[in-house]
Amino acid sequence: MSIFNDLKEAITRNTGRVMDAGAQYSDSRWYEDDSSEMLMLLDGNLEGNDTTVESGLGVRILYGGAWGFAATSQTADVDSCFDRAMANAVSASMLVKVKLDMGKKDGHTGSYTSPFKVDPIDVSLSDKVDFLKGVDDSLTEDWILRRMIRVQLQRMIIHFWNSEGTYTRKKLINTFAHMTVMALDSDRQMQRRSKSLFCETGGTRGWEMLTNPSLWSGHAERVKNELKEVLAAPELELGNRSVILLPGQGHLQVHETIGHPLELDRILGYELSYAGGSFVNLDSFGKLKYGSDKLNVSAYGSIANSPGSFGFDAEGTPERDYLLIDKGVLVNCLTSRAMISEANQRAGREVFTESGGASRSTAFYRAPIDRMTNVNILSGDDGTLEDIISTTEDGIIVDNPTSWSIGSNREHFHFGCEIAWEVKNGEITRVLRNPSYQGHTIEFYNNLSAVGDESSWIVEQVENCGKGEPNQVMELGHGLPVVKFDSVISGERK
Amino acid sequence: MMNKELRNMIAEARDMAENNGVKASIHYHHENSHLMRIGNNSVSLNTSEELTRIDIEVIQGRKKGTHTHLGEIISADDLFKMIQMVSEKAGKSAAMDYDPVLTVIEANVQTEAQYDEALEKLDPAVKEQVYSAIFSNVGEDYNYSGSWSSGSTETFSVTTANNNSVWQRLTDQQFMCVLKHPEKMWELASWQTGTKAGDVSAEATIKEFKSILPTYENQKGFKIEPGNYKVVLGSQAIGELISMTVWTGCAGRTWEMKMGWTADKVIGDDVLNPSVTVLDDPTNQQIFSEPLSDSGLLTKTLTMIDKGRFAGLLYDRNTASKYGKDATPNAGCLVMQPGDGPSDFLEAVRDIDRVLYIPAIHYMNMPNMSKGIFTGSSRFSAVLVEKGKIVSPIFSSRITDQFENIFGNILAISSETTSVNTSNTYGRRAPSAVSVPAWMLIDDVKITDCADSF
Repeated sequence: MSIFNDLKEAITRNTGRVMDAGAQYSDSRWYEDDSSEMLMLLDGNLEGNDTTVESGLGVRILYGGAWGFAATSQTADVDSCFDRAMANAVSASMLVKVKLDMGKKDGHTGSYTSPFKVDPIDVSLSDKVDFLKGVDDSLTEDWILRRMIRVQLQRMIIHFWNSEGTYTRKKLINTFAHMTVMALDSDRQMQRRSKSLFCETGGTRGWEMLTNPSLWSGHAERVKNELKEVLAAPELELGNRSVILLPGQGHLQVHETIGHPLELDRILGYELSYAGGSFVNLDSFGKLKYGSDKLNVSAYGSIANSPGSFGFDAEGTPERDYLLIDKGVLVNCLTSRAMISEANQRAGREVFTESGGASRSTAFYRAPIDRMTNVNILSGDDGTLEDIISTTEDGIIVDNPTSWSIGSNREHFHFGCEIAWEVKNGEITRVLRNPSYQGHTIEFYNNLSAVGDESSWIVEQVENCGKGEPNQVMELGHGLPVVKFDSVISGERK
Repeated sequence: MMNKELRNMIAEARDMAENNGVKASIHYHHENSHLMRIGNNSVSLNTSEELTRIDIEVIQGRKKGTHTHLGEIISADDLFKMIQMVSEKAGKSAAMDYDPVLTVIEANVQTEAQYDEALEKLDPAVKEQVYSAIFSNVGEDYNYSGSWSSGSTETFSVTTANNNSVWQRLTDQQFMCVLKHPEKMWELASWQTGTKAGDVSAEATIKEFKSILPTYENQKGFKIEPGNYKVVLGSQAIGELISMTVWTGCAGRTWEMKMGWTADKVIGDDVLNPSVTVLDDPTNQQIFSEPLSDSGLLTKTLTMIDKGRFAGLLYDRNTASKYGKDATPNAGCLVMQPGDGPSDFLEAVRDIDRVLYIPAIHYMNMPNMSKGIFTGSSRFSAVLVEKGKIVSPIFSSRITDQFENIFGNILAISSETTSVNTSNTYGRRAPSAVSVPAWMLIDDVKITDCADSF
C-alpha cells in the first residue's frame, strides 16, 4: 500500500475511534510535502542557500467544547498522535467557560492547485543563482554600499480529512522575492530602497513570476535612482499633512490596521497574551464607521494568484469572496467555524452566518487559527496617482516600510518608510528622507480622502505575517490602489 | 532521550561524509513541547509537538549549502544521501569572496545541567490547576488569557572537522497570564520563567495581581500629552531594549556593515551611561546557557559594554572570516548588570513629582537603525506615579526615542535582577533569556503619542 493509503486508513480508523469516545469533531492534516528554499545574495555573496523539507501529521480534536492538538513527524505514529490530541482535548475541557462548537456541515471533497507554469522548487539551482546574479549585477554601483537579494520559494501538498467526511487536497506554490540597495547619506545614516515581487490580476504563482521583468527585476534601475535621491534629500519635518500611500506602503497599513483587528479570534480575546486584542467588538458590526465612504475592503477578493488564496482553508471550508467594510461601515470579519459559533453565543444573536474560510496553519505541527486571507482595498474613482497628486495641497507620498509598530488593540500605529516625495499645490517638489507617520486607526481611515482607480491597483505579497502561540508565520497578499489620507501627523518630534 | 542507535547513525553518516571528502556538519534537534493557551478564562489550545529536525551544512571551498529535514530518518545511508544532496547543492552554488568556515567543535561536551525530567513530563492538568487557582483567587469576574510553554530540547552535533561532539539536553518553561477588565479594558500581566518544574507558581502571579489591582480598580485611565518624561522601565521593557541595543550595536556583522548605531564608534569609546555594563555570560544561573558558540568554541564571559564604554563586538564564524577577525565564544546569554538602587522602584522615585512606570513595551521596531531610534507602546500595568505613589493607570502611550538616550540618561538602576524569557515559539524550540535589572529610572524619555484607551 502507498503511504497515502496507509495514512488514510489509519486516520479514518482513529477518527472513528475518537468520535466513538465522545469527541464532537476531529480533523487531520497530512503535509505530504512542505518544501521551501531560501536564496540570499548579500553584496554578491550567496550567503543563503537553504532548503527545508518537512512532512508530518497534525491532529485536532474537539472534546467537551475544548481543543486538543498533537503533531508527529513519524507517519507510523498515527495512533499515538490521536491519543495525545484526545488527551489534550480532555484535559482542556476541564477548564472551559464557553464551550466551542463547530456547528454541523455536510462532508465534501475538493482539490486546489495554485496557478503556476514552472514549479519554483524544481528549477535548477544553477539557473536560479544565474538569474539572481544577473539581478545583482544590475544593482551594482560604486556608490551603493549594500545589495541584498532574497528569494523564498514554497511548495506544499496538504491533505485534509475531518470527521464530517470532508477530504481536500491542496498543492500550493508561492514565489517571493525582494531586492534592496543601501548607502550612507551625508549624515552617515544608512538609507535603503527596495522592491518586492508583486502580483497582477490574472497572473500565476510559479518561477515565471520572477522572470517577468515588469513584476520585479525590471525595477532595479528605478530603485537605484530613488536611493540616490534619498541620499541627498533633506529630512521630513514634523507636521500635519496629507499622506499618499503607494501600494508598497499601503498594503502594510491595511495588513496591520484592518486585517489583524478584523481577525475574529483577536476580537474575542484569544490573542491577548501575545499579539494583542482589537478595538473592534461584536457590537461594531453593521455600526462602526471604520472609514470614510470611500473605504471598501474585501476578504480573499478572488485573486487566485495571491499567496492568500488556497482553495480550502485548514477546516476544509472553501475560500470565499466577501466584503469586510462597505462604504466605510464595518460589516464582516475574518473567521473560522468555531469562532463564529462562540461569537454568536456571546452576542446572543447571529452576528456572523458562515465561516470566512480563514482558518489557517503554517505547518503540520501547528493548530489552525483565524488568519488573514487576502485583505484588499477595492479601487475607487479618484483616478490615477497623478490625479490624486494634482488635488493635494500639502502632503507627502510614501513607499515601502522600514518599520512598523502597532498598538496592542490596533487602535494606533507608527510607520517608518524608505522614501517620501513632497507634494505642494498639486505637484511633486522634492524627495525627503527618514519619513514616518503615525495615527489612530479610526480617525485615520475616516480621513481617507482619495482612492485610486484600477491603474494603480496591484497585489503586494506578505510572506512573513506572525501570529499565535506557538507562533505561526503565514503568507498572504493585499490588493490595493494608491490611497490618500488627510491630516496625518508625519515626521518625528525633536 | 536520544538513543544510542540514533547517535551511532549520525556518527556513521558523519564518517561516510569524511571518507568521501565532504566537509559537513550535522546537527540533531529534538523537541518535546507542550503549550497550553488560555483565552476567556478557558483553555483555548492544548498542544503537544514531538519533532525531530536534522540540519546539515556542507562547505566546498568558497561555496556552501544548508538543508533542514523535519521528518523520519530511517538509516545512516538515508542521512548520508541527504549530505550528498547538500554537497551537490553547495557545488552548484556561487563562490563567495571569503572562505566560509565549518564549525570546529573545540571539545567533547555532554551536559544536562539545566534538565528536569519533571518539567519535561509536566502533566497539562498541572497547568490547568495553576490557571484555575489564579482565576478563583484573584476574581472570576476578570477576563484571563495567557500561555504556558514547557518542554525539553535535545541537541547533538558533529562535524567532519574533528571527532568531537556536543550533546545537550535542557528543559525550559515560559508562563504568562494576562488579566483584563471586561468593561474598563485595562490589562495586567504576569510573567514567570524557569528550567525546573517548580519554577512557576500560582501564588507568585496571584500576589502580583493583587498588589496592583486596587490602583486600577479605583482610578480612571490617564492620557499623557506628548513630551519628555522621567520614566521607570520594568524588566520586560529593559530586556527587549537591551537585546535590541546589543544586536544593533555590538554584533560584528552589523558593525562591519555600518548598519547600526555604533557604526562610527570604535572600541573604547564612551557610548552609554557609566552605570551600564552588558555581558554575554554563560555562567549566569538566571538564564539558559549554551556550552558552545556557533563556531564550536567553549563559551566564555565577554563584555560588550563596560561602564558605558564600547568594549567588544560579537563575531560569528563566517563574519569573522569575511572581515579577518576571530570568532568570539559567545553564548547568547545577555546580562545587564544591576545597579545600587532599591528593589522597589517606588522607593527610588518618592522625591520625584511625576514619573511614568512602563513595565513592557509592545511591538517594538526600529525606524532608523543608524541612529538607534526605536518605537513601541506601553502595555500591561503602566501607571503614573507621583511622589512615590501610584496615581492612575495610563492609556496606551508611544515611546519613540534612541538607545543612546535611554541607556545614556539613566538616573538609577535597581540592585535586583530578573530573568526575562526571550524565547519565541517560531519554528523550533530554542530557549533564550536575558538577565536584567528589575527596573531602571531614565530622564527625558520621549513620549510621542497617547491613545484614548488602554
